[in-house]
Amino acid sequence: MRRVSPRVLVVSILLMIALGVLILNLSGFLQPVQTILARPIITAQSWLALRFSALRDVLASPRDMATLRSEVSRLEAENALLQQEIIALREQTAEVEKLAALLNYARGQPQSSYLATNVIGRDVSPFIRSILIGVGSDGGISKGMPVVTSRGLIGRVVEVFATYSRVQLITDPEIVVNILFQESRTEGVLTAQLNGELVVDLIDLSAELSQGELVLTSGLGGKYPADIPVGRILSIHHRDYDLFQQATIQSSVEFDQLDIVLVITNFRPLIFEQPSP
Amino acid sequence: MAYIFGIPLLILLAIFQSTLLGTFQFLNGRPDLILLAVIGWGLAGGGEETMVWGLVGGLLLDMLSGIPIGTTSIALILIGTLVSLYEGRIWEANFLMPLGITLAGSLLFHLMSLVIIMLMGREIDWAYAFSRVILPSTFINLLLALPTAQALKGLRNRLYPPEVEI
Repeated sequence: MRRVSPRVLVVSILLMIALGVLILNLSGFLQPVQTILARPIITAQSWLALRFSALRDVLASPRDMATLRSEVSRLEAENALLQQEIIALREQTAEVEKLAALLNYARGQPQSSYLATNVIGRDVSPFIRSILIGVGSDGGISKGMPVVTSRGLIGRVVEVFATYSRVQLITDPEIVVNILFQESRTEGVLTAQLNGELVVDLIDLSAELSQGELVLTSGLGGKYPADIPVGRILSIHHRDYDLFQQATIQSSVEFDQLDIVLVITNFRPLIFEQPSP
Repeated sequence: MAYIFGIPLLILLAIFQSTLLGTFQFLNGRPDLILLAVIGWGLAGGGEETMVWGLVGGLLLDMLSGIPIGTTSIALILIGTLVSLYEGRIWEANFLMPLGITLAGSLLFHLMSLVIIMLMGREIDWAYAFSRVILPSTFINLLLALPTAQALKGLRNRLYPPEVEI
């Protein structure tokens, strides 16, 4: 009988371990182990991310960053709240004008509550656009919570561990956001192209859009609260022979410069169950 | 001994990859530190240890990514195996061999990642992936290949000093 070389044996064993881990992961059994193993790594990563962020800030502007950081964090949350209120008021005005005849109508915009947290890392795969944030289920985070900055929507929580969570950005092609154009009151569906460009599709052909118009979340579908800024129209693609028009959006958020983000903790996204066959 | 130094080194590299290199990009690409470490250790004569580095490094990368855990390990174990086939003969054979190995390893690593992502049901723009991600990253990996291989060869010589006949 031919003897198996030690190298082939080692490779086979290691590949089997990797496959075993993959199967356990896909079946969901690995999460508790991952939570335990990731804890020290995330602690080290949070430490490094904070230092790195502070260093970058010091290099960018010579000020006392430690005090400013906490102040910025507080003000970001406050600013986001005020932005939300302004937008809600504008929305209400528009609706009052439009629906003046309908008495007793109230939209019922619940006040959002935010949890400010640091971005501790970015997805190591260049093909997946997501970030890691330094709070997890221990901090009250749950799957599906929308994540914003004071400038607008950045994505939603897709994976939650004890001490950290993964947020899928709206620049990832997997994410779909129902949006509303603020002035023309037209709805559409925002998706990211594979190169990260944001495009709104399914816009009514008769809608009159204008460059620079503000794009907000519409709240349809129940995955995001309404009236969160997403960006502004960069260009409009209107062809008479198409069924719908499209618009390219310039996001209001600098995704490469994300430092502190706000998780909307009191929003519970709607989860639609798959119909059984 | 290689694991006592290797595993903390891989953890550190994975953290750097996610924290620092996520922000800094050069020509739209970023170096793949774990891949470079696996290739470098293999070139330094790591043998079977290279494949274990591939397994551990892959698990660490997947923990910090949206890719299912274990998939990058498979790619890195295979790359480690390929590199270890040339162990000990690289430096003697040709100075450019490490670059060739890094080029092949980088392309294989990214192609396998893309296939895995495709199997996850995601759409792939191959032209964009090649021009904006794979080629810039491979170029940066090539720039760092020789210094990394030299550094890891130095580390290996410290851990396992070559026997000298007197």
